[in-house]
Formats: sequence, structure tokens, C-alpha cells
Amino acid sequence: MQGLWDFWAAYRSTLAFAIVNSFLALSTYAVLSAGILSFATVTYAAFGGFLGARMVLATGIDPMLTLPAAALAGAVLSYLVALIFLRLESHWMALASLALILITRVIVINIPVVTGGVNGMSVPLPVSLELLAVLIALAALVFWRLSVSWYGIAAQSVREDTAVASSLGIAPRKIQTIAFVISGAVGGLGGMLLAGALQFISPDTYFVNIAFTMIAGVVLGGSYHWTGVIIGAAVFTALPVIAQAIIPEFQDVANGIVLLLIMIFLPRGLVDPRAIRLRNKFQLPVAQAIKDTSSTKLDI
Amino acid sequence: MSETGLPQSLLEISAVGKNFGGVAAVSELSMVVQTGSVAGLMGPNGAGKTTLVNLISGLLPSDSGTIRLADVEIQRSPSHVIAELGIARTYQNVRLFSGMTVLEQVMAGCYVRRGTSLWASFLGLPKARAARKAVESHALELLDRVQLANRAHLLAETLSYGEQRRVEIARALGTSPRLLLLDEPTAGMNAQESNEIGKLVHSLRDGGLTVLIVEHNVQLVKDFCDHVTVMNFGRFLADGTPAECIAHPDVQAAYFGKTTDAERIRTLR
Repeated sequence: MQGLWDFWAAYRSTLAFAIVNSFLALSTYAVLSAGILSFATVTYAAFGGFLGARMVLATGIDPMLTLPAAALAGAVLSYLVALIFLRLESHWMALASLALILITRVIVINIPVVTGGVNGMSVPLPVSLELLAVLIALAALVFWRLSVSWYGIAAQSVREDTAVASSLGIAPRKIQTIAFVISGAVGGLGGMLLAGALQFISPDTYFVNIAFTMIAGVVLGGSYHWTGVIIGAAVFTALPVIAQAIIPEFQDVANGIVLLLIMIFLPRGLVDPRAIRLRNKFQLPVAQAIKDTSSTKLDI
Repeated sequence: MSETGLPQSLLEISAVGKNFGGVAAVSELSMVVQTGSVAGLMGPNGAGKTTLVNLISGLLPSDSGTIRLADVEIQRSPSHVIAELGIARTYQNVRLFSGMTVLEQVMAGCYVRRGTSLWASFLGLPKARAARKAVESHALELLDRVQLANRAHLLAETLSYGEQRRVEIARALGTSPRLLLLDEPTAGMNAQESNEIGKLVHSLRDGGLTVLIVEHNVQLVKDFCDHVTVMNFGRFLADGTPAECIAHPDVQAAYFGKTTDAERIRTLR
């Protein structure tokens, strides 16, 4: 029992960071599920994190109020980003989002009044594991509802074939703008939670390292279902920590090796609804269905 | 106006043109599709038939000319607006969404007729749930119409080629169109399957739908189209009844080469 307690104490913070990274990965998934590869989550996170932290320091408001504020700020910013990005072809959009990360860093460094500049700033927002658990449960609920709603069908159609989706009356730009706004809200909230979990933020907090973690989480877990993204982010957060405890030499390369293995052997990630559907009960009557096909004739 | 109150010409294409660089894929082309008819669009490979269908459905913007659907100009409208106005289409190569079941594909087609807002659907409000159930029943009816109701919960990509083509038709019907564009619906099918598609098209016409078929299969055009337009090198070549068009010397020349060429070769020998 004591051993279990020690394990929990040692890995409690890992779990907290796994949840925070899940938010950032979900933000990336939100746009990816509508056919857009964008790293702009880093910018939303920075906006949410610095804005929330500054709000607490400057006004002394209840830190809990900064969470919806960060989400709202991320959503507004992402809407503005969508207005520009959705004019670009998909590959240019991905490159533009990388450029946005670099621009974000320069802005963060050059407005020390708000961000603390290169020295960064401390964040008086204690984020408990219980709060994180509640928030990720809420996020899961939102993504589940999105996936089973008309938005989910429209987003999947746009991702699979934008032109065909459009010819069915689905407005791709509208769906992708909604995806951007969801990504911004989740990313802004994730940025604020990251600030709270670290208790200190600087320009280095919101940089390409986050982009790598969130993309790796999406690739590992699978970009076709939101549960895979949470699993992927959790695994990528925990892996280096566990590796350090078991084989310290393996720590630095653990993520890279796992990512390579996943891309080679499970290119659609750990959670692949298509593969599950191919195996599930609906496919059991296939033999019967094929038999029926051979004798089916249209009689109209 | 027809007896149904609809204009007699549902689709009017007037002097439409489309260039790709220096190549005129469609040039000064005009044609009319009558309400409640099965119209055919024929022409040899590279004649510009699919480009014309892409222009009608808004997948490509036209460079010149006008396209009217029931007197509404649509040549500048985006594809999704044209779909809402009542034009649905299928594709030369089957383009179903990967990872979706047959029923989900058809439900995606019913998106414009979902009868609820995205927000209400997200919240799962009772009204939205009822509307979704109604759409699901409608999608199943459409699948039943193309004889695929028993495949509703299978992944569409696991179906045979002919079945996938029928799913595509059911998906297009989901938008409740006034005009259905079928781009080579029988490509890769045997005679019996082609005949079944022809019967399906007739039943849709009898239900009040107007259909424009792009087709290579001369027999199918002859058997199932009320009126045919033939194009070649992006230009109008002939129109009339299927028999008239097939007998037209310019059409025969476009498909089989000029008789005079054959005579010249014979003379040289």
C-alpha cells in the first residue's frame, strides 16, 4: 500500500502534465479533424497563458475566472487566424502556422510589460489535479458531442474530401472556421493550465517543443478519434519519465523511437475507428452480405 | 411553365467557356435540360463533358457565359450553395468518404436537409434528436431505393464497386435535389448492372427528378435518355433524340473518324 502511495506521489505531477498536454493535443486535433494541419495551438496557448497570468497579477481577480477568459481569448484569436489561414492551400497553411509560432515568440519577448519579456513571469494560479481531471472530463464531453453531432459528420466529410463535401451542401470554410475556434478555445485554456502547472512562464514555454509534443500525441494516439489524442498525449508525457526511472539512457530517445514505431506499424495511430469498424460486429455478417450481393438484383 | 408550376427548362447553359491555360476545355457551349426529363451528355474522351459537369456543380468557376437553374444564375456560386439550390452529382471515379459507413455517407448527403442547427445538434436538444432520427429514416429509405438497406452499417469501402456507385447516388439523393448529375454512372459495370442503373434513373424521373447523365454507353443513352446533347473538343456538336444524335454524321465522325478518311486510305492502297 505504501509502495502504491509512493508511486502516486512520484507520478502525480506527470499525470497533471499529461492532462495539460492532452488539451494542447486536442486543440491540434480540433482542426485536424476538419482537414487542417496547423501548429497555431502554440500561439493560442501563449495568448491564453500570458493573458490569464497578467490578469491575475494586475487585477487580483479569482484565478479560476482566468480559465474561461483564456479560452475566450484563444477562440477570438483563432477566429482572426482562420480569416487569414483559410485563404491558403493546406500545405501553406501548415507553414504559415509555423511562422506564427516564430512571430509569437518575438512578440512575447518584446512586450515585457505584459509577458515579462525574456525573464518570463511567475504564475499565481495553483492548478490542482482534481481541477484538471474535471476539465479534461468536460473537454472529453465536448469532443464526444461534437463527434456525434451534425458538426462531426460535416467535419469528417470535409477532412476526407473537401470538394465532395461542398457538393453535398456542406460549407467547408464555415466548418473549418468552427474547427479553428474550437482549437483556439481549447488551446487558450491549455496554455493557461500549462502556466498554472509550471507556475512560471517565459518565451521558451510556448515554442516549438509544445508543437512537437502535441503533434506526436496526435500521431501516436490517432488523428481520427479524440480519445486517441488524449491517450497519445498522456503516453508521450509519461514515456520519458518512465524511461528515466527504468533505463535512464533511453529517456532522450524514447519519444522518438516510439513515434517512429507508430508511424511504421500503426500509421493511423493507436485508436483507429476505421480499423475497429472493420473488425467489429457490423463486419461479422460480411460473408452473408457477400452471398446476398451475388443474388441481389435491383427491381425498381 | 409546365403543369407542375416549374419552368420547362430547369437548366439553361448559355455560351459557357472554361480554359485551362491555353486549352479551351469548354468553349461557347449552350444547352438546355428540360424539367422532368432524363438528358444525356455524350462525347468522345476529352470532349469536356466532366469539365461541364464541374462547371454546373460549381466545382470549377466558369470563365464566361451563364448557367441558370430555374432562372437563378449559378455560375458564380460556390459548390455548397449550388447544392442547396438543388443540384447534386456523382463522380466519374467513385468518391466516397473513407472510414464512414454506408448510412453515414447518405446522412452526410442529407446535411442540407437536416432540419436543425449545428448548435442544437451539439447540445442534443430533443428537437434536434427527433430531426436526426427523421433524417436517419430518410437515409435508410434512400438506401432501400438503391437496394442497399441491408448494407447500411457496413463500411462503404468494403462494398463492391457497383454497390459503391449506388451509395454515391443515394448520397446525392440525400440533398433532395431538383437536378441530379450522374458522371458516367455505369463506368466499369456489366450490361445487367448498367441496365439496373438505367431503370433506377427512370424511376427517379418518374418521381419528378430531372437527371443529366454523362455517358459513354451508347446503348444506355439510347434506351434511357429522352434528349441528348453531344459535344466534341469542348464545343457543341449536336442535340436531339438519342436516335437522331447517334445517326448524326458529325457525331459518327467524332466517334468513328470521318468516312472520307477511310475512303482516302482505301484509294491510297
